[in-house]
Amino acid sequence: MGLVNTPPLSAQDDAALLALVKRGDEQAMATLFDRYSKVVYSVALRVLRDPASAEDILQEVFMQVWRSPDGFVATRGSLGGWLAVVARNRSIDALRRKKPMDQVEDMALAAPFNLANEAERNNMMERARGIIIKLPVEQRKTLEMAFFDGLTHSEIAEMTGDPLGTVKTRIRSALTTLRKAFQA
Amino acid sequence: MSATRHIEREDLALFAMQLLPKDEHALIAAHVAQCAECGQALAEVQGDLAVYAHTVDMHSPPAQAKERLMKQVAREKKTVPVERVATPPLEFVGRSEGTYRTGLGSGAYLAEEEPKRNWAAKVFPWVGWAVAAAVAVVAGNLYHERDALLSRMTAQAGRLDQVSADAAAAKQVMEAMTDPAAKHVTLTKAPSTPTPPVPQGRATYVAEKGTLIFLASNMEPLQPYKTYELWLIPADGRDPIPAGTFHPDERGNASVILPPLPKGIEAKAFGVTVEDEGGSQTPTMPIIMAGN
Ligand SMILES: [Zn+2]
Repeated sequence: MGLVNTPPLSAQDDAALLALVKRGDEQAMATLFDRYSKVVYSVALRVLRDPASAEDILQEVFMQVWRSPDGFVATRGSLGGWLAVVARNRSIDALRRKKPMDQVEDMALAAPFNLANEAERNNMMERARGIIIKLPVEQRKTLEMAFFDGLTHSEIAEMTGDPLGTVKTRIRSALTTLRKAFQA
Repeated sequence: MSATRHIEREDLALFAMQLLPKDEHALIAAHVAQCAECGQALAEVQGDLAVYAHTVDMHSPPAQAKERLMKQVAREKKTVPVERVATPPLEFVGRSEGTYRTGLGSGAYLAEEEPKRNWAAKVFPWVGWAVAAAVAVVAGNLYHERDALLSRMTAQAGRLDQVSADAAAAKQVMEAMTDPAAKHVTLTKAPSTPTPPVPQGRATYVAEKGTLIFLASNMEPLQPYKTYELWLIPADGRDPIPAGTFHPDERGNASVILPPLPKGIEAKAFGVTVEDEGGSQTPTMPIIMAGN
């Protein structure tokens, strides 16, 4: 094979690929797409419930990586996690037809997972699903409404008839349970 | 909520999800920007949300999404020179120009676009993007000639379908050729007649995906109504699996690209037999070429 001296792109970590992207390497970009397009698309599809709109978000999010890879290197966070959250934020923006609230490049993200590794990523997903499914149903629904449907705590309170404080606490508790389960 | 008090953790989660009213959002943003403790807490909440995002039902994006992105990427090319250059991945490829076209219709099509370059050099490994560009050209034609005769439109649309199908196949070829798990097998004529040139075949096989590419050279011409047939001999002792029939061209070159194969079959060896036209479900002895 022609590239015997370098490991295949598919085996390189995100930082190495981002460094290549910074130099204009389109193949490195393709590798990042192969690695993370599924989660980005799936999150966007869940929020927007429309394949064409989800594909637009997918395109937009990855073009952002191509245009400014520096932002991600600087956060030293997890690119996979970052992409998942940005996909969600962009989708909510699209849903509400509003301009992005933040310069998302600046967002720091602490995640102890190596999402670049497919096996590790799948393992994490399985565990996270297992934890979420065992949450009290009100907690699970509230987090889902806030994160995937982009409903504010006031909107959720209005819909469920729960006090505002309860809605906030449920979201916090659900996230805390998730974090603790992974720390255990 | 003043800038001197830390942010409630409840509010940080809402802030991270961008669900707070503008003024509240701005206050928290200002605090977080200058408070390391809350900044760290926010990063952790973002990490939690990232994990939570991964609990969504997974769906693969449509196949054309990648082409669309890579087209846009190419359009917004960076000025930094790319050091990595396209080297032909196999010394085998490119030795005889424009001959390995069987099974990849795009070969002929691409040759029309740019006749000077060797087909193999174009196809490996950049074929996906070359085909994407070709799709763009055809789509552009369709747009500009929309008032042209219907028959012409139909012809072009057919071509577009062909190119799209080829793009998917080309992507698969590229993945197989560069997959570190691929098994590369060279098949040579069973030793009996040492007269050169010796028929030679090369199989690249990814068991997990059931992807097989076979290229052969110096193949002897066949009698009428006969065909060469490639066989995958499974490692687990099962019967040989037919992996496509092929006819050499007048120069003795032939290929089998992406025959329909079950996934996950480890190969012990590959073999070639001569069968009646149409191929067979069980190999007819002798195996004239083999490799493992
Ligand atoms: Zn603080």
